[in-house]
Amino acid sequence: MPPRIPTNPSASSASALVRNSFASPCTSQSLPGGRAGFSTTPIRERSTNLRRAFLEWTRKVASHYRRPNSEGPSYLINGRPSPASRNRLRPFPLNRNFQSESVLNDQARELIWGKVMRKGESLKAVSAELGVDLTRVAAVVRLKEVEKDWVSKGKKLATPYSRAVLGMLPTKSLREGVENQPLEPINELHIHAATQKQLFWPTSESRQFTREDAAKAFHPKMLSADERVPHPELIQMEKDLLRNMSPNEARTRFINAAEESERKAAQRQMKKAMAEEQATTKINTPRFEFRFREVDSELVGKNGRAPNVVGWKYGMPHYDRKKGMVKIPTSVP
Amino acid sequence: MTIKIRLARFGRRNAPFYNIVVAHARTARNSKPLEVIGTYDPIPKADPYDDSGRLHKDIKLDTLRAKYWIGVGAQPTDTMWRLLSMVGIMHPKYRDQKPRTAPPLPADIQKPEAASPST
Repeated sequence: MPPRIPTNPSASSASALVRNSFASPCTSQSLPGGRAGFSTTPIRERSTNLRRAFLEWTRKVASHYRRPNSEGPSYLINGRPSPASRNRLRPFPLNRNFQSESVLNDQARELIWGKVMRKGESLKAVSAELGVDLTRVAAVVRLKEVEKDWVSKGKKLATPYSRAVLGMLPTKSLREGVENQPLEPINELHIHAATQKQLFWPTSESRQFTREDAAKAFHPKMLSADERVPHPELIQMEKDLLRNMSPNEARTRFINAAEESERKAAQRQMKKAMAEEQATTKINTPRFEFRFREVDSELVGKNGRAPNVVGWKYGMPHYDRKKGMVKIPTSVP
Repeated sequence: MTIKIRLARFGRRNAPFYNIVVAHARTARNSKPLEVIGTYDPIPKADPYDDSGRLHKDIKLDTLRAKYWIGVGAQPTDTMWRLLSMVGIMHPKYRDQKPRTAPPLPADIQKPEAASPST
C-alpha cells in the first residue's frame, strides 16, 4: 500500500505552511525581543552596570593617566595603573625579561663629545668626572663622530626612531660644571682568565702577602689588580688625598697622569704601526698595490706546528666554519 | 729532480688563498711541501676607512729563504716569478710588450748627417 498524506484536521495544508514561512520574517510581532528590521525608532539607550563602572573608573582612577607622564610610560596592570617609577627600568611590563639600565640621552652624549673633541680632555678624565665607563666614553665619541659626518654629508638621520626609543627607555642626563650622579661604576676589575683557576698557595703567616704577590701567584707576568683596573690613576689620587694633599692638587695630578697614560698608549700604537710599515714593501701597479710583508718562515716551533706558523697548515683541520666559532669581526680596525 | 717555488691553493670555494711553497715539481699541488715560505691572498682588499676605491693585495714572504732557494736552483712558476720580480729577487720575465723605438742620437752625430747632402 502506498504512503498517504495524513488527514489530520489540526495540521495545516502544505500550501499554508509555505505561505507562513515566507510571511513570518516580515511581521515585527513574530521576532523575540521586539527588534524590527525596518523600524525607524532609535535603539533604547542602555547603560549596563559594566559601562557605568567603566565611566566611573575613567573619572576617578584613570583620570591622571590620560596624559603621558614625564617620568616614563605608565601601564595598566590588573586594571590598576602602575606607577611610572616602577616601570622606569622595565619599560615593557609584559616582557619581564627586558630590564633596561639608564642610557645616556643626546645632550649627555653631546657633552661627552664636546669635552673630548673640542676641549681635548683625556678619555680617562672625562670618564672619571662624569662617572661613565671608559669604553662607553670612547664609543660615544666614535658614534658622535659618525653622526656628525653624516650630518655634514647631508645623510638623513633616523631621528624619530631615536626619539621614540629614548622615550621608552630610562635616560640619564649629565650637566657640566656640577657633580653628576655616576651612570655606572667605572673602576671595575675585568676578570682575567688566569685568575679563574683555584689556587692553593701556602705562605707563612709572618709574610706580607700583597696584591702584587697574589698576581704573581696566578701568573708570573700578571699585573696586580691595582694596575689592571681601568683607572689606576684614581687609586693614586685617593692615596694622595689620604696623604693630606689638597683636593685641587690631587685632581690636577690625576688629570696629568691620565693624559700621560693616554699619550703613552698612543705612542705605543704609533710605534707598532711604524714597525708594521717598516716591515712592509709596497709595490704600486696600475690596478693594485701589492704589499709584501716580511716574515720568518723558520719560526715553526719545536714540532713544526706552532700556532703562528706562516700559511695554512697541512694535516690539521681548519675550524673556521665549525659551530660555535665566532665568525663576525670582534674588533674595530 | 726539479724544485719549484709555486702556489698551493687553500681557502674556500670562491675565496682562494695560497701558500707560497717550495716543493718537488712532480708532487701534487697541495701535497706536503719542502717548505712554506709565505702566503699570497689574491683577493684585493680596501683599507679600512678608505673610500678612494684603491685596492691592495697582501703577500707574506720570507725573502731570505726565497733567495736561498733561487740560489740553489729552484724554479719559480710564472705567477711566483711575477711576485718575486716585484721585490727584486728575480728579473722581470715578461716586460711590457710595446714596440721599442731607438733613443734619439746625440745632436753632434745627427748634425753631420743632415749637413752632408748640402755640401
